[in-house]
Amino acid sequence: MTDGPLIVQSDKTILLDVDHILADECRRLIAAFAELEKSPEHIHTYRLTPLGLWNARAAGHDAEHVIDVLLKYSRFAVPHSLLVDIAETMSRYGRLRLEAHPVHGLTLVSHDPAVLREVTRGKKIAPMLGLQIDDETIIVHPGQRGFLKQALLKLGWPAEDFAGYVDGEAHEISLNQDGWTIRKYQELAAEGFWHGGSGVVVLPCGAGKTIVGAAAMAHAKATTLILVTNTVAARQWRDELLKRTSLHEDEIGEYSGSKKEIRPVTIATYQVLTTRKKGVYAHLDLFDAIDWGLIIYDEVHLLPAPVFRFTADIQSRRRLGLTATLVREDGMEGEVFSLIGPKRYDVPWKEIEQQGYIAPADCVEVRITLTDAERMHYATAEQEDRYRFCSTTETKRKVAIALAEKHKDEQVLIIGQYIDQLDALGEELGVPVIKGETPIKEREELFNLYRAGEIKCLVVSKVANFSIDLPDATIAIQVSGTFGSRQEEAQRLGRVLRPKSDGRSARFYSLVARDTVDQDFAQNRQRFLAEQGYAYRIIDADDVLTSD
Amino acid sequence: MSSSFADSLRSRSDEEIARLFQARPDLLSPVPSDLSALAARASSMPSILRARDTLNKFQFDLLTAACSLQDPFTQLDLLRITDKSAKSTLALLIERALIYADGEKFRIPTNVRTLIGEHPAGLGPHSTKKINLALLEEAPKGAIELLNKMVWGPPRGQVADVKKANPTITWLLENNFLIAQDSQTLLLPREVGMHLRGGKVFKELIFEAPSVVGVTRKKKAVDLAAIANISTFIRWAEELAHNWSDEPPSALKSGGLGVRDLKRTSEHLGVDETCAAFVAEILYLGGLIVIDTDDQILPTNAFDLWLTKSAEDRWHALVTLWLETSRVAGLIGKGDNKSVAALGPELDRSGISALKKSVLALLIATPEIDPELGSLQERLKFDMPTRANNDYVSWILREAEWLGITGQGAISSFGIALMNDADLGVEAALPKPVDHILIQADNSAIAPGPLTLEIANEMGTIADIESRGGATVYRFTEGSIRRALDHGKTGDGIKDFLKRTSKTPVPQPLEYLINDVAKRHGRLRVGHASSYIRCEDEGLIQQITHDKNLEDLRLRKLAPQVLISDVEINELIAGLREAGYLPAVENATGILISAPEVRRAKSRPRPPRVLSENSTPSETLISSAVRALRAGEKASAHKPREVPRTTANETLDLLNQYIQEQTSLTIGYADSNGGVSNRLIDPLSISLGTLIARDHATGEIAQFRIPRITGVSQAESAK
Repeated sequence: MTDGPLIVQSDKTILLDVDHILADECRRLIAAFAELEKSPEHIHTYRLTPLGLWNARAAGHDAEHVIDVLLKYSRFAVPHSLLVDIAETMSRYGRLRLEAHPVHGLTLVSHDPAVLREVTRGKKIAPMLGLQIDDETIIVHPGQRGFLKQALLKLGWPAEDFAGYVDGEAHEISLNQDGWTIRKYQELAAEGFWHGGSGVVVLPCGAGKTIVGAAAMAHAKATTLILVTNTVAARQWRDELLKRTSLHEDEIGEYSGSKKEIRPVTIATYQVLTTRKKGVYAHLDLFDAIDWGLIIYDEVHLLPAPVFRFTADIQSRRRLGLTATLVREDGMEGEVFSLIGPKRYDVPWKEIEQQGYIAPADCVEVRITLTDAERMHYATAEQEDRYRFCSTTETKRKVAIALAEKHKDEQVLIIGQYIDQLDALGEELGVPVIKGETPIKEREELFNLYRAGEIKCLVVSKVANFSIDLPDATIAIQVSGTFGSRQEEAQRLGRVLRPKSDGRSARFYSLVARDTVDQDFAQNRQRFLAEQGYAYRIIDADDVLTSD
Repeated sequence: MSSSFADSLRSRSDEEIARLFQARPDLLSPVPSDLSALAARASSMPSILRARDTLNKFQFDLLTAACSLQDPFTQLDLLRITDKSAKSTLALLIERALIYADGEKFRIPTNVRTLIGEHPAGLGPHSTKKINLALLEEAPKGAIELLNKMVWGPPRGQVADVKKANPTITWLLENNFLIAQDSQTLLLPREVGMHLRGGKVFKELIFEAPSVVGVTRKKKAVDLAAIANISTFIRWAEELAHNWSDEPPSALKSGGLGVRDLKRTSEHLGVDETCAAFVAEILYLGGLIVIDTDDQILPTNAFDLWLTKSAEDRWHALVTLWLETSRVAGLIGKGDNKSVAALGPELDRSGISALKKSVLALLIATPEIDPELGSLQERLKFDMPTRANNDYVSWILREAEWLGITGQGAISSFGIALMNDADLGVEAALPKPVDHILIQADNSAIAPGPLTLEIANEMGTIADIESRGGATVYRFTEGSIRRALDHGKTGDGIKDFLKRTSKTPVPQPLEYLINDVAKRHGRLRVGHASSYIRCEDEGLIQQITHDKNLEDLRLRKLAPQVLISDVEINELIAGLREAGYLPAVENATGILISAPEVRRAKSRPRPPRVLSENSTPSETLISSAVRALRAGEKASAHKPREVPRTTANETLDLLNQYIQEQTSLTIGYADSNGGVSNRLIDPLSISLGTLIARDHATGEIAQFRIPRITGVSQAESAK
């Protein structure tokens, strides 16, 4: 017994005692093979998954290393069976390989004929395969490369892809290190990706994902398609590329809702790719518009499901995924692994720590007691109307206004789901409301005024906050609805809320009607935010209304 | 012949007899009255079977080789067909009375020969004719090949018809290299077989036990792994019992645990089904769970007592049961057509405990080795050829690892201490129980080690367990707090407990959660009532509540206009009427029921079955009845003549004789109550202490236990 900071559980979660003296050292080591699941204040939870272990394999760690780390830092004896399981799982990666055969083209190869026989028995896999050439080689139908990798992963035999890539149309791109230099880990990440062929580079926010992307483009020296989450991100990418590389403005195109430019380097949004006209994806031609040499996926963890399907068809092109986390809310981590590629590089934690650390916001749940009349109304409302009713009550509006007034000297954002409610709030507070129908130009103007501090308070709808990045605020007040998916919510909060000038952390209020479905949602939110390390407390609306 | 076996025992010294008892302790119970009795018992089949089970492969092979010789044989005869090194082993077999000395020579008791069989080591019968082995040199083409097929057994071949066999076979038969057993079966005589085997009975004789090989482990790592296994096993046991207390599985009609319940339990424990079944079996052995009278499988009071013991004692209690039990948990889920159920009646196998101890002894003899399964199985096949079963050995290893007797496959110091009855040292090696938890803002709590029983119980009530292992992760939810309140806790009580137990401050949202649930808990009340009284006149209700005559109706006031009662509606009405009130009955919708209800049974019609007339008896029935009558007549004809009593040895000799003469016999046969009846039989054969004969009374082949045969005589008609 070593009295270390780790406790390995039988369900393959790993608990890390963050107050332990060895916690930081240990955290760096386990991040390579286990996924961080929760990070509340005392004990962080990591999980060992086959994917995490295979990712570690792809990034060059072996089972011995993983087991050593667990044994060294574990507080209690680790069950032998779990260690055996880890070794067994990791040994599965790479036993099957996809290779380009000089005569037969794409082939599935394994030095273990038994494994080959096992997978070819699979009902889903058999139709993707052609003739067996010898004991160790089977022809794969061209075009099935992506689907085969997906299916093999599901069977638990992830294949390593050595089948190579097309070069694509050459295009001169080089880094332009003028007044800045690429950081060591960024260079290593780009190289790690380049040698691996395709895959994902995991970088925390602020670690310079764009530069890794640019460095990868400089390796490829070919036409590049960059897929990003939204128009703002697209413009950020363009600005960065202009600054960091030899590319000129006319070499970079934007392919979004408003513009449809196709240039040697084209930046497209996920939204435009997944837009359907009469049930057909209208912009898929983009993938074939140019003989792309490299495709970059920004924020892979948010990649919409349909894009995976397109990605399965373009397995002969190099693909780079960039993300801060491999965890996906929808559980499609396996698709990222098989279709984009395994993790190619992990940034050492030390580097990120030097980046500084933004204190997560202080979350306050304001419990509002409905009036008797409102409660009666709620009780008799139809099931589907209840949420709307309880989140738009008169009492709630009063509390929202009281809060806004209380913080009237700070940058306040009021966020909600129901337009009537937002309009009423805007009117009463005398502040502008941004909603789905507000033109982009007007939005940008308002945001600029807000950023400059000329407007202190804005009311935004949920629809509005999807399409464009919100400016920084010190106070956010959520009156109804959720702020994106749970994961997105935590991330957005971290991004929107900056610490106040005096160093106090920013604050996020969510208004919740007591004893209604609103409270059930709030409980989920509390759990998730606390798991992400946000401080969370509950206050009573009366305290807001009476204090001033 | 058998008297000479008794003679050989008589010539033994006291010391030699003592050694015989030591090697074959079953001869001691009960203590035989004299040496003849000892001889009879030592040469009885059950005792010989037991003696055989104690032989290792080499000893058994040597006994087999000896059986291939004709009585009497010399030591040299035996060594010639085996190996020089067999000398000491021969002495051992003599000591155990499996071979006995007759002057300078040796003999083998009949039952030992019966046990080894007609064809020891696959050798055919002795030839009665002279065989000129030199002739084999001139054998026609293919003859040697043909013989070689039979050399290593079975020494038997089939042809369509011996008389029309091909010339090679005919030549072999003519020269006595083959014997025709009947018109289709050919046998290879023992002399020819031995000649073709090169004079040795066995292709290769293994003299020494094969050594156990495996991976070397570090002692410290082994003990660490073992302690992890021990704490895990104790946790599984507790978990399973708690889980079954919440949702007791029902035992199958045929006894035991159903497959679906097993699957559910294995999912709950997070282990595979074989392991879950094993845990259940061990709890069952210890009486910690029981199949209750209503077929529910539930933890017992013994479980609660067990929980209060130290971890070491808890482990020791379970692991010693495992060592002694004859139940084989590995068989669960196996079976040809129907899978064998855990806790069911089909799991007992004799000798498993001895096998377990042998396996563990081998592990102790090879410390710090995680043995290769194959090599261990090999070794056990040598040590106990009749007992070792490869499946059982692999199950024993698996179970020893689950129990923590081994760690990383090698014997742990706890396992060694267990087998040596030494101080186990488990308690000191187990992680110390912790008496605190850490509560986090996401409404989870972590016990960073095994909790003390009291806190574990409390936490188990107020929170759900999310993950187990070295630590326990709990989650507080609305449901878990409600459960605690249902158990009689109060909101403040829960908060106090958490404040006392948590090393970190109780997060404010958790206090809110507890307050919220406590506030709402019990606001709605639910209860039983059988009937009610409703009346708009509150005064009348008041009057009824105070009416002394109605006290028997146990009326309770729920609201100013409503009373309820536990008594049935008819009784209530009768009571009210008797007291002078005028109640009317209403139905569920409040409508008065004026006329008495026409009553109908609720169950479906189930008319009684019509018994059929007697059917005509079948022909077989009639014929067997007639046969029984005739046999009865025949037997009664013999009745006046008492069958003379014979001793067991005489009986055996007589029976052997009559079997050869094939005559009908009358025997006196004692039933299980000691009553003797005469039976008219045709004896067929004797095996394993049982006479197999055709019983005239039934016309069927029946078995008669020889000790129960009081006397034998030739049947009247046969004389």
